[in-house]
Amino acid sequence: MNKLNELTIAEASKKLAAGEITAVQLAQACLDEIAKRNPELNAYLEVFDDVLEQAKKADERRAAGESHPLLGIPLAVKDNILIQGRVASAASKMLEQYVATYDATVIKKLKEAGAVFLGRTNMDEFAMGGSNENSAFGPAKNPHDESRVTGGSSGGSAAAVAAHLCLGALGSDTGGSVREPSSFCGVVGFKPTYGAVSRSGLMAMGSSLDQVGPITKTLEDAEILFDTIRGKDPLDSTSVDPEDLKSQTSNNKRIGVPRHLFKEGIDQDVLERFEASLKKLEGQGYELVDITLPSSPLALALYYIIMPAEASSNLARFDGVRYGLSLKGSSLIEDYAKTRGEGFGPEVRRRIMLGTYVLSAGYYDAYYGKAIAARALLRKEYNDALKTLACIATPTVPSPAFALGEKSDPLAMYLADIFTVSANLTGNPAVSVPMGTVERGGKALPAGLQLTAAHGDEAALFVVGKALE
Amino acid sequence: MISKEEVLKLAELARLKIGDGEVEGLQKDISSILEYVGQVSAVQPQGETFLSDSKDSPFGLHTVMREDLPRLASGKAGVPTPVLGEREALLNAFPTREGDFNVVRKIIQKDE
Repeated sequence: MNKLNELTIAEASKKLAAGEITAVQLAQACLDEIAKRNPELNAYLEVFDDVLEQAKKADERRAAGESHPLLGIPLAVKDNILIQGRVASAASKMLEQYVATYDATVIKKLKEAGAVFLGRTNMDEFAMGGSNENSAFGPAKNPHDESRVTGGSSGGSAAAVAAHLCLGALGSDTGGSVREPSSFCGVVGFKPTYGAVSRSGLMAMGSSLDQVGPITKTLEDAEILFDTIRGKDPLDSTSVDPEDLKSQTSNNKRIGVPRHLFKEGIDQDVLERFEASLKKLEGQGYELVDITLPSSPLALALYYIIMPAEASSNLARFDGVRYGLSLKGSSLIEDYAKTRGEGFGPEVRRRIMLGTYVLSAGYYDAYYGKAIAARALLRKEYNDALKTLACIATPTVPSPAFALGEKSDPLAMYLADIFTVSANLTGNPAVSVPMGTVERGGKALPAGLQLTAAHGDEAALFVVGKALE
Repeated sequence: MISKEEVLKLAELARLKIGDGEVEGLQKDISSILEYVGQVSAVQPQGETFLSDSKDSPFGLHTVMREDLPRLASGKAGVPTPVLGEREALLNAFPTREGDFNVVRKIIQKDE
């Protein structure tokens, strides 16, 4: 039998329901593996000291007759999602000591279900980055090769799932922050439709892009987590009733492939894994259709206008006055500048300045104005294409995990997001599913295949994704 | 490439103190990113708008309004409940707390 921490959520849930194992045993198995591997992987920034007590309560709830697929399941939570009474630092010095004063809606729902929280996971500071190297507390490392990055920004969550330091995890995805590290770590990373899951209690980065999403070992597990956390929430006015999103459910077996995007910049062996996976789908009765998304080559450029613009506005709240780091200069304006200058790391400061630039009076029309026009076009192209398709398929990332320290140029780092940003710009749901491994330096490194579906059609992602497993 | 003065101006607007040693790197990084994202200048708007008050707008976004009344966590209007933290927890988050007050810098000064 597998070690308990190596079970999927669905498997563990069955064993718990049958009384074969207890939540305490399950949590202990995860804690043992964390003690063994976390010092090297740095996936968790903090492991909570009451994990076994939480697990004991879950066992008591079950003994009292409660049941839920997540009752007693140990999960990891990205450090930008608030759990009342616990530190939530967003891997930033700005919030190193900040204690959350309320539960994020997703946490409230998981608590009601009876999930056990193991700890908070490492990430790029304020979710800005694709490698986890922007964490103020050192990068998480890839369990498949510790000299390589986990991807980011939800790198700690992806590494924790891949190394069985938890059964599943929550991440957040603004431009691929759930899917890209999942691709690098060989796990399932799921970004729901914009508005499907409440963001109340998720630290805001790009508010028109952000979504909370599960990182899991299987699609079935992603579905269990998604079904638990989804739903309209009065505390997030962008959240949508699942019924309102249901309209587009597609039952066809057509998969769109935008081959015009694969002409350059993709590693040959990643492309081979991708083609092999498409063959597998064909073998199961799926039809592959060549599609063109004319605005897609612009997606990354408009993302790196819209995201910093929104992030620079959202991060204006960190002023050292009400909470978080507070440093003193010789005047109020110097207090702000000192707090923000020293509290934020280099990438966060770079994006705030970039956002400030594209929103400034003389440049607004040339950058932000053009970007939102292009965004509307991109969304229309996806909507039109998905009218007759179940999903659109691409590689998740053009390459496997790169080495720590390999990408020092910020723009080179941004290029890893080339296939993931579109779903955030258009609001479509998307998932990264493992598609085998490629070899680098004698190590087998995972690569992911990304599926994108119509708004509200998460069901298509689960059906097609499971066909790939 | 954007100038040193522009970088310093941006830092000032963004309320960020940056070190002298960082300016050159920021000039280079911000310029190369701006050059890349400048591709969008070729976009010709085709009547699709980002924000529209119609639910049928191509972007699908519309302004969400609610009644101008305090409301419960349930979403219904009524007496507000402290959904975003208890008073004591919020007071404890203050960088410098004195009693139930947040100590901030005096910003109004007497003319000399």
